[in-house]
Amino acid sequence: MKDGASGPDNNSVTRRSFLKMASSMGLLAGLTGALAGCDDKNPKHPGGNGWLPNQYNAAGNFPAQVRGRVPIDLDNPSIMRDNQKCVLCGQCLETCENIESVYGYYSLPIVDETICIHCGQCSMACPTEAISERDDTDKVFKALDDQNKFVLVQTAPATRVALGEEFGLPPGAWVQGQQVAALRRLGFDAVLDTNFTADLTIMEEGTELIKRIKGEVKMPLPQFTSCSPGWIKFCEYFYPDLLPNMSSCKSPQQMFGALAKTYYAKARGIDPASIVSVSIMPCTAKKFECNRPEMNDSGYKDVDYVLTTRELARMIKKNKIDFTSLPEEKYDPIMGEETGGAVIFGATGGVMEAAARAAYFLITGQEPPALFLNLTPVRGLDGVKEAAVDIPGVGTLRVAVCHGMANGRKVLDAVRTGKAPWHFVEFMTCPGGCIAGGGQPRTAVPPTDAIREQRLASLYKADASLPKRKSYENAEVAALYQNFLEHPMSELAEELLHTEYHSRANKLHPLLFKAV
Amino acid sequence: MQKKRWTFRITGLRILMIALVIIAALICLIRFIYGLGSVTNLSDQWPWGLWIGFDLLCGIALAGGGFSTALIVHVLHKDKYLPIARAALLTSLIGYLIALVSLFLDIGRWYNFWRPFVFWGFHSVLFEVFWCISLYTVIQILEFGDIFFERVKVYFPPYKKILHKIMPFLLILGIVLPTLHQSSLGSLYVIAANKLNPLWWSMIIPFFFVWSAFFLGPAMATIEGTLAAKTYHRKPELHVYSDLTKVTLWMLIIYLIVKVIDLSYRGVFSSAFNGSFESNMFLFEMIGFVILPIIMYAAPGIRTKQWGVVTASVLVVAGVIFNRLNVVFTGMAKSLGGQYFPSLWELLVTIGMWSALILLYCFIVENFPILNKEEHVSDRRVSSGASIRA
Amino acid sequence: MTSKMGALVDVTRCIGCESCKVACSLYNGLKPEQMQESKTTPASENVELAVSRWTVVQSHKFEKNGEQIRRFVKRQCFHCQEPACASACFAKAMQKTPAGPVVYNENLCVGCRYCMIACPFEVLKFEWDKPFPRVLKCQMCPDRIEEGQMPACASVCPTGAITFGEREKLVEEAKKRLAEKPNFYVNHIYGLKEVGGTSWLYISDVPFGELGFRTDAPEKALPEYTWEVLKWTPAIFVGWGAILTGLYLYNKRRAAAHDEEEMYAPVDPD
Repeated sequence: MKDGASGPDNNSVTRRSFLKMASSMGLLAGLTGALAGCDDKNPKHPGGNGWLPNQYNAAGNFPAQVRGRVPIDLDNPSIMRDNQKCVLCGQCLETCENIESVYGYYSLPIVDETICIHCGQCSMACPTEAISERDDTDKVFKALDDQNKFVLVQTAPATRVALGEEFGLPPGAWVQGQQVAALRRLGFDAVLDTNFTADLTIMEEGTELIKRIKGEVKMPLPQFTSCSPGWIKFCEYFYPDLLPNMSSCKSPQQMFGALAKTYYAKARGIDPASIVSVSIMPCTAKKFECNRPEMNDSGYKDVDYVLTTRELARMIKKNKIDFTSLPEEKYDPIMGEETGGAVIFGATGGVMEAAARAAYFLITGQEPPALFLNLTPVRGLDGVKEAAVDIPGVGTLRVAVCHGMANGRKVLDAVRTGKAPWHFVEFMTCPGGCIAGGGQPRTAVPPTDAIREQRLASLYKADASLPKRKSYENAEVAALYQNFLEHPMSELAEELLHTEYHSRANKLHPLLFKAV
Repeated sequence: MQKKRWTFRITGLRILMIALVIIAALICLIRFIYGLGSVTNLSDQWPWGLWIGFDLLCGIALAGGGFSTALIVHVLHKDKYLPIARAALLTSLIGYLIALVSLFLDIGRWYNFWRPFVFWGFHSVLFEVFWCISLYTVIQILEFGDIFFERVKVYFPPYKKILHKIMPFLLILGIVLPTLHQSSLGSLYVIAANKLNPLWWSMIIPFFFVWSAFFLGPAMATIEGTLAAKTYHRKPELHVYSDLTKVTLWMLIIYLIVKVIDLSYRGVFSSAFNGSFESNMFLFEMIGFVILPIIMYAAPGIRTKQWGVVTASVLVVAGVIFNRLNVVFTGMAKSLGGQYFPSLWELLVTIGMWSALILLYCFIVENFPILNKEEHVSDRRVSSGASIRA
Repeated sequence: MTSKMGALVDVTRCIGCESCKVACSLYNGLKPEQMQESKTTPASENVELAVSRWTVVQSHKFEKNGEQIRRFVKRQCFHCQEPACASACFAKAMQKTPAGPVVYNENLCVGCRYCMIACPFEVLKFEWDKPFPRVLKCQMCPDRIEEGQMPACASVCPTGAITFGEREKLVEEAKKRLAEKPNFYVNHIYGLKEVGGTSWLYISDVPFGELGFRTDAPEKALPEYTWEVLKWTPAIFVGWGAILTGLYLYNKRRAAAHDEEEMYAPVDPD
């Protein structure tokens, strides 16, 4: 080529020839590229874009931490998982293994079912909300729309200190009255309180405890509480030999269900077949519990649908109810009264404290001293708590409280080896008790002790402020005994309010220590 | 030869067939825009369906008449069969074109069709099939060029000269290539060792395929000759057809013997009689489409009659189609699971393609020197081919 | 030869959490399944491999020693040592890499689906609804293996049901496990010999037939069958060509010449 500084003529020719050359080069390059592809050392293959490749709207091999996850059966009645959301962070594994000591505590191969105690703690820990409660709101909406159905609802002690969090209120906000108002506006025909059967549970369970201590029933000590369905399934799986220690009482929810379709139906003159019994629970395991074959003693399914706190919030939002501006309303009568002893059922140690108050009265016939109204050793978030209270006539009542099944294991192992000094042990599946149940609002993920403490404080504050703080003071419970059941552990009470549980040992090969 | 004008008689039937072709073309358009799933019933379990099983495998088999006739006429120089040679070549060429079109329709990434020319996946049977079919189609087009230039008097001497020079080479290649790929169409299924029913799977399935494609040729020539004669009010070349039956007869007998030996050698002979669906289909294929034609061809009373030779030929052709469909569908059904039946759209495309084949055949026959000139006059032979017969 | 990598799946250790399946769709950017699949269907029919599911976990319930048991089987491409799909591909779109994975290159693929016919395990899936469809299957994360990592699925298995490593060592490991518990495991390593060996190996405590494995897979590598036929091609080409040429020349001497132009004519359609 000539000198670079050439005339415009020359330039235009150059441009044209350049374009020509460029286009032919392009063709050539394309062809060669296509032909050369035959000895491509690293052929392009589909996939392999990396973890979370579109996280920041750009492809990349973001070094995500992936650990796997817990197995969840598709027909799990309590929880389900959206594979689209799962990022395999392993938080569910962490929870299931270290807090509930379920995953990893059975040897492989599995037998025939996926081992799950339905506690839903994994759904609390899941950062992407891939694991959620099984949504039953559609069924409840459908029942509410059915004019031929009498839809009654019970609310667990712990939902009233957490539901507000779904609507922007601070953790532990006391929304009992608004919750009742919201349920009425959703169209429930009767809004009743599980606290009523919590008090009833104390009467039954306390009576049973005394009978065990006095040797009137030939059942071993310590007696275990039976309010927490996750714990019951845990015991059936891993400690079936200790099932005789389990109180025969049903949980408050199931007692309520059995009474709703018998006592309540009779008192209100409603055909029990037309009753749809719904419960609002902080718990996913309750969804499993209400489907247990043992829970049909009313002649019907005792509790038809269980909704978690989160589902209730969803229903309220769906119906566009302005929750925070609702007036505070009261529960409907004959199964709506509460005492402080029932309110604290939602807290770890609460059942024990309420039972202690009642036991003192049932044994001595006297009001318990102030100590029993503020039984601090069983309060708080320590994993295993112990207390010893003196009750005149029987001596020292030794009790233990544990929450989270990893802590439960320590107590159970002690009982199994016969080293347990206790008369009565409270087990709560979820750390902190029902207030931090698997169906509660996901205010912090994973749940924190700070939030647990705020909810606990709210419950104890309510207990302290109530005029009646002991279960035996519940007038509606007294009326129930007078008009229907006669006395605690009567024949009818045994039929409706008590049950027995069966070993699930053939469903797994348990390990005493963590596998891996 | 003096005619300058191109003719194409339009009849009601032909209008219908043109409409069918247009419908098929429209469906193909949809298939190219929305993918195979939009028009076919194909699935992951049934990756190959009507277009491959019938249009490609059967189409190629039916077009096998071209190479067997070429072998008989041009290599063995059995000149008495010359009258049908060009017709066989034409059917074969159109058959291959149809097969290529259906293949093009069926492959998903059609713009990559040239890849195997560059990336030599020689370990694949399909590689051999692909090369042979494309080369053979080119050769057939070249061979047909000879005929084409008889009609289209473009004086382009070098072409004709070159063509005549290399014609022997083309002829031989035009027999070797189809031999290879007809057998390879069978070899395609050798790899499906644990999927294809043992009644059809065999290490010598390529032999069965090429052999049947070969004996299919005379039968095909018989049928299409008869059809053409009927359409154009000519006298069928019965003498040619009944002579050809000898070839078919012996090849059918050998086919049957080898089949029996193969089955007993692999120890699956008894499974042909176990009453299963597959065994019944197999027996039907062997008795109805192999043994029955053998009997018909063997009986002089049937062989020499027009109806007899045509019926037997129809049976042979149907038998080969039945065999291919058995390999693609019946034999694979159990291991693939699921169900496949061609969708209406698939069927319409197939019908459209075969209509196109018939239309093209008619057009070419009416405009090019394909069929024997003197045939409709009388049975007096002028051509040397006929004199040899006498 | 470079060491071929593989994976060992111990069916008895799988708990069915499907971490592998999710890892696969996360890492490979596959369209995850719809929520509905897990929302309403209770313990549904097993899902099969699909274009967007390169690995699935299938559950099988049956009775063993009078006890109801359930086993999970992770399924994906077996990555045969001598893959039928790769041998069937005439465009070299399917290739076995030296490291072990059988990898698909969509740029070369013609879309003929012969690989799907050839695959003895029917793991290949076709994008039927795409104008330019691909054949998809597990690629065994070849990039990760190249970087010395495990495939995505193996890296997330929480119970150690999937062991990744050199195939030879995995065979040793499998044999060791079988020897340690001879009464527990079925004495068979699936994939050791099937179709000439596969990169993915399985051991189990229930017969493989009951877990949906193909038990009729021949021990011979499938490409060998083809090759036994195909290797004759050049011989046939040359031999048959020579025979034909000979016949042609021999017969030509005897044959009378005839003018083809005089013999044929276009038919008169009327």
